[in-house]
Amino acid sequence: MRYIRSLAHFIGRLVRIHRIFVAQEIKRMVEYKADFFIGMIGFLMVQCSNLLMLWIIFNSIPTLMGWSLPEVVFIYGFSLIPKGLDHLLYDNLWMVGSTIVSKGEFDKYLTRPINTLAHVLFEKLQVDAIGELVMGIALICSVLPQISVEWSFGKILLGLVSMFFSTYIFTGVKTLTASVSFWRKRSSNIITLGYKFANFTKYPATIYNEFIKNLITYIIPFAFTSYYPSVYILTGDNPLFNVGVTVLVSVLVMGSGVIVWHLGLRAYESAGS
Amino acid sequence: MKRRFRIYYPFVNAGMQQVTTYRVDWIFYLLGNVVHSLVSFFIWQAVFLSGSEETLNGFTMPQMIVYFFLIFISDTMITSDASMMIAEEVRDGSIAMRMLRPVGYNATFLFFELGGKLLTQIVLIVPVVIGVEISRFVLSGVVQFSVLNLLLFFVSTILAYLINLFFSICFGFLAFVIKHIWGTNIMKNCIVSFCSGAMVPLSFMPDALKTVFMLLPFASLNYTPVMIYMGVYQGADLLFYFGLQIFWALFFWALSKLLAMVSAKHLTVQGG
Repeated sequence: MRYIRSLAHFIGRLVRIHRIFVAQEIKRMVEYKADFFIGMIGFLMVQCSNLLMLWIIFNSIPTLMGWSLPEVVFIYGFSLIPKGLDHLLYDNLWMVGSTIVSKGEFDKYLTRPINTLAHVLFEKLQVDAIGELVMGIALICSVLPQISVEWSFGKILLGLVSMFFSTYIFTGVKTLTASVSFWRKRSSNIITLGYKFANFTKYPATIYNEFIKNLITYIIPFAFTSYYPSVYILTGDNPLFNVGVTVLVSVLVMGSGVIVWHLGLRAYESAGS
Repeated sequence: MKRRFRIYYPFVNAGMQQVTTYRVDWIFYLLGNVVHSLVSFFIWQAVFLSGSEETLNGFTMPQMIVYFFLIFISDTMITSDASMMIAEEVRDGSIAMRMLRPVGYNATFLFFELGGKLLTQIVLIVPVVIGVEISRFVLSGVVQFSVLNLLLFFVSTILAYLINLFFSICFGFLAFVIKHIWGTNIMKNCIVSFCSGAMVPLSFMPDALKTVFMLLPFASLNYTPVMIYMGVYQGADLLFYFGLQIFWALFFWALSKLLAMVSAKHLTVQGG
């Protein structure tokens, strides 16, 4: 009981701190409106170019390995939402791998009375990500009339649950790869590599060979950020695997991220100047 | 010439040393690009497996494999960090130091990146070309490899890199006007990647668009080198597209010189 109460206290405190950080970030954002606008348009454009590619592809074929254009767009749109949420809230991990550790700025976090990982995660709000989120929601909404899905309250709920948990698959993979910088000073390219595997999940996993399919299911489990939850929503098949395992994988990945981060802290030596 | 070599050799060396010091980073960067090209490979394979026709817009399946893996080489080759380096230096003021040095402003970027590029090319070209040619032989049963085309491809990617480098330098000077160069850089990369044929071969695009992209510097960055490797351009065409590449490289070189001069006049650095 005491542990539960102290855990609740810990989480409550983190939520309060997060709110304070976000308020600070919003002040910064209002100050530099034009810059944030440009970043947002940048990310919108990246998505538009991918969609143009899909459109050009579907001009020459009716279906992609049995998937229709609206279905492919649905999976694509779904993938943008957890990716966008992670990008919006926890983008600061990139900075850990690229400059914070290698320039000796990490010492700052060690002197604060907040958990270092929480501090790093909460510190920045990356508003560029709104471009991805808007696009994801718009894509899903735009194909809704063209896909035949039996909607129910439970299905919508499970869809939202898997969106929430798959966000932490992204954050977990980023935390794991960013932690490498505690040993190696820089890890931005390792983060990039880990993150690039997410590219595989923009499209239906059936277009890949068995090796890639197993890789993105069991090793770097990005297939759970979009493909498996989308399959459940589109077909209603196997919620236990498609949604249940998504939740499980998310907890596992984020949990090991937290553990490796704290192992890394022990190995950390300042690169200070 | 000898004097120049002595001045710029340390930059080439520093570029190579950066790659060898942060080896692991570099290997992961290359692997990241491999992942990227595998995604393209699988999606286009799925396109051919889903369609009933043998050729799509002039491409057969083996040609498509050659196309996307060669795009991977050219795309890795032409990448330049110059715009972000300039933006960072404008932000923290160290651009003043670079401008004070008795070396060419553009040239320092060129020679610094050259070191890393050389290593990258040596590591990439051999395995990718061997892999691509073996798969093409297995799929089509004919050896289509041409040493001449490979050499021309190499020359063409160097020209493409120069175009992109000078273009990136011009772009980096935007940091004097726009503070959020990062977001603008994403836009730039996105436009370049789409219009240069790195995502979809230009022959899949509507004719009007294709013509525009071919004449603008975009096609010169990725599409032209790969078409040269595939032996699509011969004779007069080949000369024309090489000429176009040289024209755009000179154009952006001159523009970057001009912008460096103009911005040096307007440069105010705070603190130091």
